[in-house]
Amino acid sequence: MSRSTSRRIGGQGLWVWPPVAFVLVLVVVPLVYIALFSVGLRSNIPGTKTAFDLSNWKDFLFGENNPFRNLFWHSLLITVLVSVAVTIAAYPLAYFLSFVARKNRYTLLLLVLAPFFTSFLLRVIAWQIILNENGVVNSFLWWAHLRPQGDSVTWLIYSNFSVALVLFYSWIPFVALPMFVVMENMDRRLLEAAEDLGASRFTSFLKVTLPLSIPGIIAGFVFVLIPTTGEFITPLLVGGPESQLFGNQIQSFFSDSPDWNYGSVLAMTLILLVLILMLVFGRFLSADLRRPAAEVS
Amino acid sequence: MTGRLGSSLLWIYFVLMVAFLFLPLAVLVLFAFNSGTTPTLPIQGFTTKWFTDAFSNTDLTSALLRSAAIGVLASVVATALGIMAAIGLNAKRVPGEPVAIGALLLPLVVPYISLAVGMLILLQALHFKNALWEIALGHAVIALPFALLVILPRLRSLDGSLNEAARDLGASDFAAFRLVTFPLLLPALLSSFIICFSTSFDEFAIASFLYPSGQPTYPVFLYGGARSPAILPQLIAIGTLVIAISLLIVGLSELGRRWAERRIEGRTSASVDVSSADTLATT
Repeated sequence: MSRSTSRRIGGQGLWVWPPVAFVLVLVVVPLVYIALFSVGLRSNIPGTKTAFDLSNWKDFLFGENNPFRNLFWHSLLITVLVSVAVTIAAYPLAYFLSFVARKNRYTLLLLVLAPFFTSFLLRVIAWQIILNENGVVNSFLWWAHLRPQGDSVTWLIYSNFSVALVLFYSWIPFVALPMFVVMENMDRRLLEAAEDLGASRFTSFLKVTLPLSIPGIIAGFVFVLIPTTGEFITPLLVGGPESQLFGNQIQSFFSDSPDWNYGSVLAMTLILLVLILMLVFGRFLSADLRRPAAEVS
Repeated sequence: MTGRLGSSLLWIYFVLMVAFLFLPLAVLVLFAFNSGTTPTLPIQGFTTKWFTDAFSNTDLTSALLRSAAIGVLASVVATALGIMAAIGLNAKRVPGEPVAIGALLLPLVVPYISLAVGMLILLQALHFKNALWEIALGHAVIALPFALLVILPRLRSLDGSLNEAARDLGASDFAAFRLVTFPLLLPALLSSFIICFSTSFDEFAIASFLYPSGQPTYPVFLYGGARSPAILPQLIAIGTLVIAISLLIVGLSELGRRWAERRIEGRTSASVDVSSADTLATT
């Protein structure tokens, strides 16, 4: 090993390529296949003539009252509303941890995060048990004679309410985290300065803390928006026929219907949506691998 | 910076939120030991019957074993690739760095449902039958960014001169890695393994499309079983165990973090706070 230092370091940099190749084969190639399927260049039915064909895309994008396009907008609306609600609910949690619970903040943060480390599927099933027609809430109401036996609150499950509630529940810990990190890195002297200059607590919160935490708020919002755009497990377990999301439609195209070409149009739409969100919001996400850790602290 | 009234209100909000977050977990624990055959109130009585039933249900136990095997394979592959990627990105000059970073983080944002159907049509085009190893590779690729985000900061925090010293003393690149860098990376590799394993163990989308018929993974079995009242209590019992183990690991890693913090205390207490927040951020 008598090569010059710069050579050896260049050689180390090449180690990045086997993992990149792994991602290319297992993620990028499948995405390319989805793209090919969506324009009719490949088909899952043997013997079908394949040719470049945009009719599925035309139907999805411009077809009059296309049900899949309607579902896309409906899903996007639900996920945006849930993301806004989660962001608003998580902000006081992060604020509490960073500004009120100074001493034990990491232990208390862990308490908030702990449920997030347990199985997502199990937590959704637990909600199903709680909200079911003869579930925990309804059987409690019967038991306590607050409602006649057998008369259940119907909107508790298989509704937009139950889907939104479970999504809201699932993402709170994850959204509180980036906000907390931003607040921890905030320069506290600015707050002291504001109060020294006569600002009330509320004013200094409104004029200093809140504006400085905007990057965390946006990061938190995107943290929940991106994964929920493709969500389909929650509606499968606690949603009804009217509260299925776009992800469910993709799933049913590939499990119940032979038309993988049309399904690929929907799968591709979801990928494009996420890529657009990343282009718009990516700079607020802190996974910047180029910046050495030493500069962070 | 917050008045007494504000602090009290925030404390109340925090306690209520934590209660809300733990409610579903508490419900599972409650019904795991309830002798009634359906998870409804009032509670009938105490039993451990569901645990013994669950462990003699071979469909359930073999699904658990399948997921454990897939999880181990996926975590080993993801962690090994994570080490490679971290070493590569740690170099002074990385050819094509932005492309490499973009590719390595891509699995974080691609919706699992799109990835799952993409893998399904690719495998079908290659005339591959559904198989468990395919699920393991799919899980490895979605876990790879987590492995990288855990390993890279640790690798960057290591003192490069240690490695240099080893080479000056005659160690080859590989020997320097094996004898110096690798042991120092071990805590990060352990975290990486745990995070990758739990990602895989809970993954439903890819597994639901790629499992061979009659060989469901644990989440696929769980999903099917959640609709059948006869085995639901057993699933609740096993679910309670799975949750207990996850919480135990979280608790142990917190103890480990505190222990490490106490050891470094005084040296750079401010930067420890930030780096532990980052560690949490990546888990």
